[in-house]
Amino acid sequence: MTLRVFLMAPILVASLAGCVTNHQRYDWGSYDPSLYAYYKDPAKAAEFAESLAAIISTADSHHTQIPPGICAEYGYLQLQEGKNSAAVELFKQEETLWPESKVFMDRMIKVASTPTAQSSTK
Amino acid sequence: MNPLSKMLIVGALLMLAGCAEAPKRYDYAHFRIEAPRSILIVPVTNKSVDVNAPDYFLATIATPLAERGYYVFPVNMVKSVLSDDGLSDANLVHAGDPLRLGELFGADAVMYISIERWDARYAVLSTAVTVELTYTIKSAHTGQELWSNHQRVVYQPQANGGGIGGLLANAIVAAIAKAAPNYMPLAHQANNGAINIKGTGLPAGPYDGLFGKDTSDY
Repeated sequence: MTLRVFLMAPILVASLAGCVTNHQRYDWGSYDPSLYAYYKDPAKAAEFAESLAAIISTADSHHTQIPPGICAEYGYLQLQEGKNSAAVELFKQEETLWPESKVFMDRMIKVASTPTAQSSTK
Repeated sequence: MNPLSKMLIVGALLMLAGCAEAPKRYDYAHFRIEAPRSILIVPVTNKSVDVNAPDYFLATIATPLAERGYYVFPVNMVKSVLSDDGLSDANLVHAGDPLRLGELFGADAVMYISIERWDARYAVLSTAVTVELTYTIKSAHTGQELWSNHQRVVYQPQANGGGIGGLLANAIVAAIAKAAPNYMPLAHQANNGAINIKGTGLPAGPYDGLFGKDTSDY
């Protein structure tokens, strides 16, 4: 009987594990809730920006990978604030971390570096 | 067989049944040929009456896809850039050419999400909160559909206890759920059900060690 129970227990655990693969690859900080709060109240752009900055500094201090899209997202908020050189730096960082973003980031770096485009990009 | 091992077997079968909600395995042939590294999530279309649902949903979908091992384009930035380019209408974006989006962003694949239901309906002392979504990934190189999934999650809060007190408690719980339905946990659950289930979910992306090696599961 005990042998049978021993044999069954791993099956139970295995069947539970088989349902979901749910390990955390990145530290997202409060990304989801602060983006949600920002969509709920557009006045909360500053809080959303702060949460993105926090994700970047946490990853830097823990020497872990910054999640995909975070530097770009933060850079875009900087661009909207008129901080174009900060935006360019963040777009470059996204591109270095994530080569998949190259086409998009190159395009945005161009936008942020063109004086005439600055005024139209708010 | 003794009762304990019988119980364990029944338990194991129930769990297996619980996992295998959609036992039909998805055909990954096209997905495997393309093996996309990056996914562009475009603004979400909405068939519900809740005008805020697409934005709220957008705040739930980037993390599970990135955790699966894909490069996910910054969702809020993509939404704003498309809007600046005159593409704020999600229906127009969905009807448009995925190859054009691929060119603009340099994406391998585009993910289209349609909200089918996002509502709280009241019926006799109980409220059912429903989130129903369709997910589709198309190749940004060929336009071919690579993967799709459909999820429906229902939450029906119930107060504990019977009798008149229980009925009253249920009515209150139902009224609260109707007045301020919380869709976010349901959206997370739907995303998880779409992405992380073997046989129907998304194969591991390039930043997962199993990239290209999980063909027996997907």
